Amino acid sequence: MESQMLLIPIGILIIATLVGLSKAKIVLKIVSTLSAIASVVMIYIGVLGFRTTLELKYSLFNSSSLFASLNWLVFRVDSLSAFFLLILGILSLCASVYGIKYMEKYFDKEDMRVYTFNYPIFLLTMYLVLICWDLIWFIIFWELMSLFSQFLVAFEQSEEKAVKAAFKYFCMTKAGAEFLVLAVVLIILKVTSFNANYSEVAKILPAYLSAHPGMLYVLTFALLIGFGVKAAMVPFHSWLPDAHPEAPSNVSALLSGIMIKLPIYMLLRFFISFFPLKPEIGIVIAVFGVLTLFFSIMYALLQEDSKRLLAFSSIDNIGYILLPMGAGIYFLANGDQLFGSIALAAALFHTINHALFKGLLFLTAGSVMYETGTRDLNYLGSLAKKMPLTAFAALIGSLAIAGMPPLNGFVGKWMIYISTLSSPATSLFGIIAIFISAVTLGAFVKYFTAIFTKPAVKDIDAKEVPVLMSAPQLLLALLCIIFGIYPFIPLKMISQALDSIGVQISLSSFVIYPSLVVPKTASYSPIIIFSFLMVSTLIALLLIPSRGSVIPTWKTGRSEDLNMSMPADAYYKDFTEAFGEVYTLGNASKRFVQKVVKIGKKFGIQLEVLSYDLDSMLSLAMILIVILVAILGGVSL
Amino acid sequence: MNVIFIAINLAFALLIAPVIDGFERKIRARLQNRQGPSILQTWWDLIKLFKRPTVEPQDSVVSLYKLAPYVTFTAVLTTYLIIPTLLPSSINFVGDFIVVVYLLGLATLSFVIGAFSSGNAYAQIGSNREVSLFMSEELLLAFIIGTIAVIGKSLSFEQLFPLPLRISSALTLILLFIVIYVASARLPFDIAEAEPEIIEGPLIEYSGKHLGLLEYSIFLKRLLLYSLLLNFILPVQTTVRLVYYLIGIVILSVIYSTFEAYYGRFRIDQAVKLMKKLSAVALIVWIIALVGW
Repeated sequence: MESQMLLIPIGILIIATLVGLSKAKIVLKIVSTLSAIASVVMIYIGVLGFRTTLELKYSLFNSSSLFASLNWLVFRVDSLSAFFLLILGILSLCASVYGIKYMEKYFDKEDMRVYTFNYPIFLLTMYLVLICWDLIWFIIFWELMSLFSQFLVAFEQSEEKAVKAAFKYFCMTKAGAEFLVLAVVLIILKVTSFNANYSEVAKILPAYLSAHPGMLYVLTFALLIGFGVKAAMVPFHSWLPDAHPEAPSNVSALLSGIMIKLPIYMLLRFFISFFPLKPEIGIVIAVFGVLTLFFSIMYALLQEDSKRLLAFSSIDNIGYILLPMGAGIYFLANGDQLFGSIALAAALFHTINHALFKGLLFLTAGSVMYETGTRDLNYLGSLAKKMPLTAFAALIGSLAIAGMPPLNGFVGKWMIYISTLSSPATSLFGIIAIFISAVTLGAFVKYFTAIFTKPAVKDIDAKEVPVLMSAPQLLLALLCIIFGIYPFIPLKMISQALDSIGVQISLSSFVIYPSLVVPKTASYSPIIIFSFLMVSTLIALLLIPSRGSVIPTWKTGRSEDLNMSMPADAYYKDFTEAFGEVYTLGNASKRFVQKVVKIGKKFGIQLEVLSYDLDSMLSLAMILIVILVAILGGVSL
Repeated sequence: MNVIFIAINLAFALLIAPVIDGFERKIRARLQNRQGPSILQTWWDLIKLFKRPTVEPQDSVVSLYKLAPYVTFTAVLTTYLIIPTLLPSSINFVGDFIVVVYLLGLATLSFVIGAFSSGNAYAQIGSNREVSLFMSEELLLAFIIGTIAVIGKSLSFEQLFPLPLRISSALTLILLFIVIYVASARLPFDIAEAEPEIIEGPLIEYSGKHLGLLEYSIFLKRLLLYSLLLNFILPVQTTVRLVYYLIGIVILSVIYSTFEAYYGRFRIDQAVKLMKKLSAVALIVWIIALVGW
């Protein structure tokens, strides 16, 4: 009976999609409310999924021939899916509620149906990716997810930039998905004989791949590219800084908060339950993680567009998830259960952390846009007085993402450091992660101060956003604080989630209330640190109360304004100049990629010219078919 | 027992940190052929500041501007729960090396946010420099933490105090010695405050109690960093340790204030580049530690 719950969000979201086809103004409210209700159900399913495994099975065609693997549509929620469902539910609840007011400002400008139709279906496809239990169906839902999220990125059709970004996003993720298709086809043709059920795959694949290392590396390559593109792993990240800022802010929160985490979910499934654990694969993933976090945050430091800065930082956080994931696989493969499980737990902890604070930060950027109509950090300034609630939420988000204790970001980062730093193979990764964490702090000091505290170029007219917009922000900020001070809740879920893919993390040896302790290695007690900070601050406030008069800001003695203020593009100039090599390298690789794209385009045009001519087109097609047959023959169809 | 020790350590730090600054002022004065004020002068200064009222600049974001000095102060204070000073006690489950580094990061962050909230352009420039310097010094510090973690196979101070005697640990501690100098806002690295250029930068609008708290937290931070360095060297036994500790603090003060007396200020880009070069050295030290020397 409980398993039938899985169908409720599907039903609600399909209704919402159909309603979304109408042009009436009320539709926005209906669709948002329905999506919010569906999200609440998702949260409930997530909670349920930690208690029992939910499963639904449908036989669609009653045949066992070519469609054998499509025949069975299996939905199943184990603890790992439940963990991600919970994140999806929380974020989509916030984004949907936020959207009710936020999207109103587009009423006269854009065709709202692009939003009202695509938004629920985007949620639906993400939900289906998380609950489906079959590789073929996974690919189908995955592609649909890319498709519909692309329409949302291109929501502002009148803006050429948005349409271009959406196109780039679609092309790159589509190309990445082809690698996934190839990998899946290879698996079900060659190994599991048309069986794509996760449980079956997990049973057959590890033994086969242990015996065929060549196949293992081919699949690893394909999966890393396929999921890497979607997760915006450097060097396949270039779509993200274009696409995420262009979408409406609540959609950006979903894109950054949960959609780019779905590849992480699948990578965990593949590399831990479907593949044999190999140290070299772990190291490769960790190296990609380090590259990702290093380059992205150095570029985030340069941004002058609030949402673009956040987008670069999303890539950075994917690095912070990939790094411990790779390190965890490495440790587990080498038989180090303790560090392996802590590193993987760190990856999942950072996943939920990033969903919370990046969702929150995108919403604050959206609120600022809603009031001022701009994302330009140079122009914005001193909004903290006019939008105190949004400023508070943004401050909490910035502190959390910079990893400041006692907020949630710190716990995740701390777990990354303690697992990586002391082992020779991963020590350097940990070192770079610490440095980059400081740079993240720099980037978010820039984000927060440029919008909320620095004197504005000219007076900006703004007021606090309506309750429907500030409430989701405050909810996320509250979660950041709670998970920071009391990290035992997410850790309990994480240990269950890891347990379901066969990684035992013995929580009892790690959580020694009120601290997190790894014997002889590390310890952190969020509760004690938090209470000491609070109590001593209160005592200091009581002993040394500050009262004073309002006086004019010092203007070197002049009576009129100095008209002097540091624009956002001047932040950290000295630092970025001193680290100029990073940017030279980054720009060189960018030029290289552009060259490749140009050559590709030329080939495409050549092919198009060729295909005008029927004879040569046919002969080309024949050659391609021959090649295809040869390849498929190789995998013994 | 441990809690009492911690309380004693906290009281010691609160009491002695300004005295150490007074002592360093005395040394600098002597080196520059001046008589210099009494050792307690810094205490008198602080007491005077705590008696004065504070102000709220017109353009400031009042809540953040007012709260920042307190948070800066308590963030530094919290680290004393973890790092032992006078008495060899630490509640080991409160935190480790990483937690200390991040609490100091929190102190820097709240200091900077408070300055940015004051609405003064000079404070912005100063804070901006402060963050640039913080980021580059964190690169060096990250390598030091990594090296120490590799040497001690741990991040818990219980295991790290004292460090085993090896070439790499000696070299790391020298680098730590330099980072401490950079992090303690002195010449030639007081680029953020830079009185002649940007008129105390982040501190420009702060006065009275706020200024007192911020200066107090700088002194506390210095003492904390001295203690951190000394703990890596000192033996753990109680009686000998106490004497060695006090001697160590005096020696460090003398060395640091001598440097301070003879140097002019670096430009921010010079400082950042220096940190980068030192990080390259730190990378080599890290490799030496990996090899096992």
